[in-house]
Amino acid sequence: MRKGTVAAVLFCLAGPAAAIDIEPLARTCNNCHGVDGVSVGTTMPSIGGLPKDYLSRVMKEWKYDKRAAATMNRIVKGLSDDEIDALAAHFAARRWRPVAQKVAAAGLSKGRAAVRDNCADCHGATGNDPDIGTPRLDGQWADYMALELEKYRDPEFVMPHRKMNKAIRQLEAGDFRPVSDYFGAQHK
Amino acid sequence: MHRCDRRAFIRGLAVTPAALLSIAPARAAAPKARVVVVGGGYGGATAAKYLRLLDPGIEVTLIERETLYTSCPLSNEVISGERDIRTLQVGYKGLQKRGVKVLHDEVSAIDPAKKTVATAAGKTYAYDALILSPGVDFDYGAVEGMSREISDSRLPHAWKAGPQTLLLKRQLEAMPDGGVFVIAVPKGPFRCPPGPYERAAQVAMHCKQHGKHKAKVLILDANDSFSKKPLFEQAWKSLYGYGEGGMIEWVSGANDGKVERVDPASLTCYTGFGEHRGDVVNVIPPHHAGKVARDLGLATFKNLWCEVRPENMESTSQKDIYVIGDACVGGELATNNAFPKSAHMAISQAKAAVAALVARFNGLPAPEPVYTNTCYSVVGHDWGFSVVHLYRVDNGQWVYVKRGSGISPVTLGSKPVPRLYRRLEAQYADGWLRNVLADAFA
Repeated sequence: MRKGTVAAVLFCLAGPAAAIDIEPLARTCNNCHGVDGVSVGTTMPSIGGLPKDYLSRVMKEWKYDKRAAATMNRIVKGLSDDEIDALAAHFAARRWRPVAQKVAAAGLSKGRAAVRDNCADCHGATGNDPDIGTPRLDGQWADYMALELEKYRDPEFVMPHRKMNKAIRQLEAGDFRPVSDYFGAQHK
Repeated sequence: MHRCDRRAFIRGLAVTPAALLSIAPARAAAPKARVVVVGGGYGGATAAKYLRLLDPGIEVTLIERETLYTSCPLSNEVISGERDIRTLQVGYKGLQKRGVKVLHDEVSAIDPAKKTVATAAGKTYAYDALILSPGVDFDYGAVEGMSREISDSRLPHAWKAGPQTLLLKRQLEAMPDGGVFVIAVPKGPFRCPPGPYERAAQVAMHCKQHGKHKAKVLILDANDSFSKKPLFEQAWKSLYGYGEGGMIEWVSGANDGKVERVDPASLTCYTGFGEHRGDVVNVIPPHHAGKVARDLGLATFKNLWCEVRPENMESTSQKDIYVIGDACVGGELATNNAFPKSAHMAISQAKAAVAALVARFNGLPAPEPVYTNTCYSVVGHDWGFSVVHLYRVDNGQWVYVKRGSGISPVTLGSKPVPRLYRRLEAQYADGWLRNVLADAFA
């Protein structure tokens, strides 16, 4: 059997996303989200290994103006729903790789407490045990997460997730950085 | 439905563990193909990296003069003092680790018939495909009184990041309160369409922070409009004052903004009818495809830019030579939606060329390319915005996908955009920079 055939067969077993040739499009995501969806920029999220449902849902919410975003909502509007699903499957199939990052040690115990009370139910106590369709947060970039929390706090910024909107009301603005740092620090 | 066709294999190349792929090159001593890449900026580095990433059986040689690359994107922040130039710099070790042969040398001749590249050091390299990513060269003669020497010493363009960026930074620092910082913008298309206007904002920010409240930033423009104009004007107005009595003033081409002559001794710019003396004069001369591409006769578009095929970035006039980055022209020209000359675009073009080449060397049909652009401008502390572009290829032509393109909102309904939008995009600009540098060079 020729090696090329081996690769092709292996790939075709990988999943339904194989119906679309998504690789060239997926490679354009690398520019901002890193190869295999592992970001090296602190304000850009890693997306490799996040749940397919989550990735696909968020992209569609942007596409159909159900969720606010500064940049991504414009980008995804040029993609078909099938492409969005295939991209979600592509990045969901990567390995989640928590990124090592420096965070302020001072706020970690405050962060741990706030996470336990407000975030752990859905994301897991260290962000590595999320509910189905919920993103992992262990070793996600703290800077990115702090910015996301600000989106939820800003009433003019439309964020549709009911549970998150509810959880955010329990948090004080002073908790955002410690919570983000706490999850960011869970990269070991 | 699953389709196990040949196209699936090419997808497989990218997702299959390297161990499986490495079987192919091990079987034969000779490489599957030899690709020479000329120019180690964003475009060339990405091309070299992704060739090795998608098919380690391909031998890749990158020829680049410099040993250290300095990113043009976000280099306006170096001029204002917001950013250390070292955060924009990267070497070529990452590419070497991927098996790219990196040569710090200069191309002296290319023979498209024999398919060879000769270098100043006297070496010759044969290629199956040649990727040119030479960037731009400046036409100093287009502005009377300008020369390369004047640019290096007194009237820097700082349109290639490096020593001139630092020279312009020093000039700005030395500029007194009440001084005038002139930016002369050439007729488009030019590298980094929003760059001059972001620079104006960064210079104004520097002046404001350093108590130079009477300073002026005068943009003398050969054009009548510019990239992200409503966003820049909104920010200039709110942050620095714009127009009459403001810190920033823009003179369009129609209003005699085109600089035709300079007097370096008195730091004076002459337009058709007027003269403007500056304390710092930043003349960006018109530019064109880098010499190496132009000398080959590839700059078929107005004798300035290289025309390429939409499906794979191959030159329309020379087989097996691919031109990517600022040197090429593409996109939907008829509707004035050409490819912007940006780093992100160069990366995108590199990936399209590579995908086509990898398919070709493996005897497979080329995948359909997608070209994307994301370009952030940072105009103040926590004030940024962007433009995104999407192009697809249909019937052998580029199609600008308007629905997947456009600038950040200026207003939301009747209200100004919440400030958070600007803050987010200023923050994203840095994340973008880290990731594009890694995508190309790591």
